[in-house]
Amino acid sequence: MDIKVLGTGCANCKNTIALIDQVAQAKGVAVQLEKVEDIRAIMGYGVMSTPGVVINGKVVHAGGVPSRDKIEQWLSA
Amino acid sequence: MTVKTLAEAQEVCPTTTRRLLTEGALLVDVREPNEVATLALDVGSVVNIPLSQFEQRWSELPRDRELVLVCETGARSLKATYFLQYQGFERVANMGGGLVKWMTKGFPVKGQRHEPAAASSSSCCGSADAASAPCCDSAAANTASCCATSSSAAPCCATSEADVPCCTPAAGGASAQACC
Repeated sequence: MDIKVLGTGCANCKNTIALIDQVAQAKGVAVQLEKVEDIRAIMGYGVMSTPGVVINGKVVHAGGVPSRDKIEQWLSA
Repeated sequence: MTVKTLAEAQEVCPTTTRRLLTEGALLVDVREPNEVATLALDVGSVVNIPLSQFEQRWSELPRDRELVLVCETGARSLKATYFLQYQGFERVANMGGGLVKWMTKGFPVKGQRHEPAAASSSSCCGSADAASAPCCDSAAANTASCCATSSSAAPCCATSEADVPCCTPAAGGASAQACC
């Protein structure tokens, strides 16, 4: 599963990456986690509110740290 | 949302911006209303769409005019510029350096102008000393932009009333943050 976290390095972006990593490890799901910090690349997804989360090329979340439940749903899909 | 590869945003300086305005461009100020109320660019063709409302209001902008986006330093407006590019706008540019650079050029503004003195910038922006009030205790990058904005004689971090919008302790955290 290819997951990108869009954000310019704010605390929420870092927390989002950490939480996704934590949930993935807990569920034993193999994920390829990538940070996208370049504003041009971020805006290429049309996301104004960060952090944004992109899974397999699709924006699934924008703005604020996603909940653990939400992340578990993504990783179960 | 579709993924798009955006072209690098066009950056224009304040001087070019003024020329574009005379040629029919529209300036889009993406700062928040409280910032605009304190200090605004004194030009005819300007609209304010705060970045916090940009996603909801970008469609108010005309596609048939050159748009120049502006904010305090050029960072937020760059984001808005790319967002408009994502939405298919072709005639958009970001004013690099923002309002801070606009003021260093001596171009017209309305409201409380930041007037830190070049001569006093060492005491303002240098290492902390007795004069380094809240403004100057913040991050180096911030103080640099704060203290590079004008050549007025008013000291940046003095306590006179004239400096309230910029750097006096009385200005408080929020104001000092906005200034710096």
